[in-house]
Amino acid sequence: MIPVASNMARIGVYVCHCGLNIAGVVDVEEVANYAKTLPSVAVSKHYTYMCSEPGQRMIQDDIKARKLDRIVIATCSPRMHEETFRKAIAEAGLNPYLVEIVNLREQVSWPHSQEPKKATEKAKALVRMGVARVKVLEPLERRRVSVEKNVLVVGGGIAGIQASLDLANAGFKVYLVEKAPSIGGRMAQLDKTFPTLDCSACILTPKMVDVAKHPKVTLLANSEVTNVKGFVGNYEVTVLRNPRFVSEVRCVGCELCTQVCPVKVPDKFNENLSETRAISIYSSHAVPKVAAVDPNYCLRLKTKNKSVCGKCLQACEAKAIEFDQEPVSLQLKVGAVVIAVGSEVFDASNMAEYGYGRLPNVISNIEFERISDASGPTGGKILDPKSGKPPTSIVFIQCVGSRDKRFHEYCCRVGCMVSLKQAILVREKLGKDVNVCVCYNDLRAFGKGYEEFYRRARDMDINFIAGIPSDIRSAANGSLYFDVFESGTNKLLELHADLVVLANGLVPNNDVNKISKLLHALRSADGFLLEAHPKLRPLECSAAGIFLAGACQGPKDIPDTVAQASGAAAKVMDLLSSGEIELEPLKAVVDKDLCGGCRVCESLCPFVAIEMKEQEKAGTEELRAEVIEAMCQGCGLCSAACPTGAIKLQQYSGKQVLAQVEAAFPRVKEKGGT
Amino acid sequence: MSLTDLMSMAKPNLESREKILTKLRGRDLVNCFLCIKCTSGCTALKLLELKPHEIEKLVNLGFVDDLASSDIVWTCVTCLKCVQRCPQKASPYHVIMALRNLAVERDANVPEAYMKAVSQILENGLAEQIQKVTNKKMETCDRESLELPKIKPPQEGFQAVFMKALEEK
Repeated sequence: MIPVASNMARIGVYVCHCGLNIAGVVDVEEVANYAKTLPSVAVSKHYTYMCSEPGQRMIQDDIKARKLDRIVIATCSPRMHEETFRKAIAEAGLNPYLVEIVNLREQVSWPHSQEPKKATEKAKALVRMGVARVKVLEPLERRRVSVEKNVLVVGGGIAGIQASLDLANAGFKVYLVEKAPSIGGRMAQLDKTFPTLDCSACILTPKMVDVAKHPKVTLLANSEVTNVKGFVGNYEVTVLRNPRFVSEVRCVGCELCTQVCPVKVPDKFNENLSETRAISIYSSHAVPKVAAVDPNYCLRLKTKNKSVCGKCLQACEAKAIEFDQEPVSLQLKVGAVVIAVGSEVFDASNMAEYGYGRLPNVISNIEFERISDASGPTGGKILDPKSGKPPTSIVFIQCVGSRDKRFHEYCCRVGCMVSLKQAILVREKLGKDVNVCVCYNDLRAFGKGYEEFYRRARDMDINFIAGIPSDIRSAANGSLYFDVFESGTNKLLELHADLVVLANGLVPNNDVNKISKLLHALRSADGFLLEAHPKLRPLECSAAGIFLAGACQGPKDIPDTVAQASGAAAKVMDLLSSGEIELEPLKAVVDKDLCGGCRVCESLCPFVAIEMKEQEKAGTEELRAEVIEAMCQGCGLCSAACPTGAIKLQQYSGKQVLAQVEAAFPRVKEKGGT
Repeated sequence: MSLTDLMSMAKPNLESREKILTKLRGRDLVNCFLCIKCTSGCTALKLLELKPHEIEKLVNLGFVDDLASSDIVWTCVTCLKCVQRCPQKASPYHVIMALRNLAVERDANVPEAYMKAVSQILENGLAEQIQKVTNKKMETCDRESLELPKIKPPQEGFQAVFMKALEEK
């Protein structure tokens, strides 16, 4: 075989130590020396941190001084620093796609840390393959496309509100979609917030009003996203506005209708602890403060009979009730989407040992919030739901449904602090004669000011019992009792309580599956939405233009949720502010002469990036596949499946992959006679 | 493990620990994070001072030998509550059963009741002795007077199979 173009190449090979991450296992000097013996390699060096400024400068200097035209960098995973090195060699005047990353960390030094000799051999082989491949890489150009400067925010909790406000203040048009009749989400249900004990409504309600009044925000409450088409910068979203049966324009929020409505309905906002009516305002600080009719309960809507009831119609002075409202579909064009659908609270009713659902004075932490909140069913008085009297002893039980392989393995990250806060509230509201106990396993107070908050709880004579009870039983007088083994004293204690509060963890939102399908947002093993990189890209999905804010990505408290929401908003600004985005050229391309129109690629593509188009050929219409460049993520599924080889992935053509495979088995090549 | 129990000067025996882990066919034991739910609900704790979480932790640290030769592992009444409730699926019940098996292998003192049960099984195939009951009229009845069928002796060859199974264990 006579090397043609390849002997013209002047390749630079750079082996990174990654501190001791690679150099601690692989003999980097040997690898670099070996690379020098490979054909077309003009320079081969090793260095402690290739990604550092001096490391990058070394490569750039060599490109200029030694006239290198292709670069191999043997370092960590390309997911870490491929982009860094592309930029570096582009600055030195090379096409950024003429670099090949060889992964010596995740694929060599980490998995083979016990076998340094073999690891070095594997590193050499991978470098040899990388050199073979880089020779046949093609220079590629990035394309720019224009983007819509509108943003869709899904979910109107504190995450969605914060992201919307940040984006709207930066000048972007925001559509804020909320499924419930009011925004506010989980935070609106809370009484006070840790670790400062400021009341949740006091800090949230102004933000709810701000976002609703903001001229750049269109608030779509009582609505849901039903369809998403398009690609980064150019999404077409269908939002279904469910009928409220009350005009948002005319309703003044006087609640006269609620007073006359005869149908009692469990109040969802109060965790079903109280009742509201079939026509009601979602909560006392709802935004928009407009009534809504629950069609599952309203007599007229249930019977579909216009002569039934109608008491609210008579009572409403503003003539705001419109029983003939129909669902309305809205088409929105947006450049990016922020998912902020939040989480649910774990339902402990299938955890038999605690008797939740069976024993009325065993309640969940979110129910406690409603009982303790001034706008809740008891007007802020902490009362035992069974007897209606203030309890004399309250026990909190930690880690319910979390850190439990039977339910959810992860730590819920809020349960400890929620119980500390609630214990403090009990002490403050019910005084020093009330017994307050927290049964815990590990008490985690990790945030800013949290450990101090924990000490504050200890200062208030709250008993901390290191041990989790196994059975909760009801005594003859209706109070509760249970045994718990206390590890500090090595004693089995019997506790009596009028009220047991379970520290239920957070679980993925009920709609997370629907959202994940609609927006191609992947989910992690715990069921929450998956970020593109756990450390370096925590605010975005792997699908371009989709961002994550708040507890839909994993359990979070309010400070973390707000921080992530602002972060996601900043990422959206970064993406859309210039009005244009650059598209990665690593996409599938179709050779139209080879395409037979079989549609295999179309059915396989997970990103719906393939469109079948009619094309005239010799007088007859024929189907040909076409790649929608902006939607293709370069996964290569189509290329592998195409029966005629018409679709190939840029930079992964047969020739480019085979060059690597051939280099992997040099002895076979020798026998063939080079 | 360079640990010493300064109360008894005992050292952990990692070989014995490994034996227990092999018997458990899984390493869930090491997941125990001492929530102590098992001990809070242990039926035998109130009767006999068995603290399952201590057994779990002692085995985890490698202090196996003293446990295997002690009476404490025989006090578990196998109510299986801890199996159902352990949040880490690392229930001490399985550890206690493994310790019992290790004790038998090492010819440790097995409580008489267990040996009785074995001879009982060999004799008539039943783990419990057939007992007489007292009825409402305060009469003592046996199976015959209650017109219950006679207990059949185990099939031929059962004893040989049972003994063989015991030896293999």
